[in-house]
Amino acid sequence: MKSILPIIVVFGFGFFMLVSFFIPLKGIQDTSQTFQNWYIGVMAFFIFIGIFNIIKINLEKIQRRLRDWQYSIILLICLLVMMAAGFIGGPEGGLFLYFYKNVQIPLGATMFSLLAFFVASAAFRAFRARSPEATLLLIAAVLVMIGRVPIGYWIWHGFPNLVEWIMTVPNTAAKRGILFGIDLGMISMGLRVLLGIERSYMGGGKE
Amino acid sequence: MGQVNNILARLSALDRRIIFLLVAVAVIVPLLIPIGLPVDITKPVKNIYDKVESLPEGSVVVVSIDYDPGSEAELYPATEAFLEHCFRKNLRIFMLALWPAGTPLGNMALENIGAHYNKKYGVDYINVGYKPGGPVMLLSLGKNVGDMVKTDYAGVPIDSLPLGKEVKSARDMALVMSLSAGDPGVLHWIIYFHARFGIPVCAATTAIMAPQQYPYLASGQLVGLMGGLKGAAEYETLVKRRGRALAGMDSQSIVHALLVLFIILGNVILVYQRSKR
Repeated sequence: MKSILPIIVVFGFGFFMLVSFFIPLKGIQDTSQTFQNWYIGVMAFFIFIGIFNIIKINLEKIQRRLRDWQYSIILLICLLVMMAAGFIGGPEGGLFLYFYKNVQIPLGATMFSLLAFFVASAAFRAFRARSPEATLLLIAAVLVMIGRVPIGYWIWHGFPNLVEWIMTVPNTAAKRGILFGIDLGMISMGLRVLLGIERSYMGGGKE
Repeated sequence: MGQVNNILARLSALDRRIIFLLVAVAVIVPLLIPIGLPVDITKPVKNIYDKVESLPEGSVVVVSIDYDPGSEAELYPATEAFLEHCFRKNLRIFMLALWPAGTPLGNMALENIGAHYNKKYGVDYINVGYKPGGPVMLLSLGKNVGDMVKTDYAGVPIDSLPLGKEVKSARDMALVMSLSAGDPGVLHWIIYFHARFGIPVCAATTAIMAPQQYPYLASGQLVGLMGGLKGAAEYETLVKRRGRALAGMDSQSIVHALLVLFIILGNVILVYQRSKR
């Protein structure tokens, strides 16, 4: 029963949602809309689960003095301070916006900026033409890197057009192939879940 | 020859801190002493500009903030440039966010640009804030906005705002602009909103996401695309706005040139090491 009930629920709701896409009858559409509203409610609840989860994991880390446990204290303090600022003043509250503008935005930008340094180091050490395929990739990468910025246009006015061709023709062809593969995989996985063949979403419990 | 060998051997063991220092110099110097390199306009960016130009005055444009402070440096300039164009054309903005931390960024842009054009909240623009649910939320939003949006981001009932009263479903929307840094984002707008309701979608994405959007550009499911800070700089050029994206183009150019130099140097060292064996 422990595995049969979820399969019935998944098949019932999944099949109904699939069919409702093709049948524009009011009753079916209204029911489908109700199910979608439920889903959004459940999704919103996941945020609470996420918050409880992050608190639980970091409290455990602090209690057991695991590696870098001090950072967990900072994380929990920041979490509680931001939550308190949000609850007290609302999303428009001065304190919440102060922290958002002066802490979260600069920290986010800093993390993002670090990428440039690591990419530069990787470009020097790892981007090597070790095979014909890697050489082709490297040539394309160099052309796109230069042609995508104003210095490329300054060097040669035809550079941006060449890059646009690379993006529109070889890149699009490869991406389309990948997308078709992913989509066929998703359809097949969806069918496996609906028909109860794929059961990993239920976890590893026994009957 | 021995001297060249010596230099290449030293370079192969180059301390990465020197690389970091060179990158820092390449970023900072052009910001302090701008070079003013010319910015070309690519077709995907021009397509967005033309689409906005073609919309009648008063049309409602949905602006979706699908990024957070982590991508602010790349996408915020695009947000401001796009809003500036819309407000200049007297289009109305219906803003929402698919990412929880996106709402205040959208608000900052609306307030900055809106104030410049004397636009009034509730009449010329609204921000309904973060909406969870990804694809399902978008499907419901297109059918009936009231199902998904009861209040704006600050908790004001949506029906009490003139623009809120007017936007009932996808039929009342003329264009969607998704400023996207990942999932949920532009792909959801294309797959679930454009495909179902036929509303044209355009996007501004991080540079790393841009190549992924080209199949949708080619199929016409995406009207136009601003890829990374360069895309934003192109849009700033089109709307004649001297913003952060244009200011950052010199730095980006020099850093890209430096990266190419590193790649070439790394491969010269590889060839040298192979020849030694």
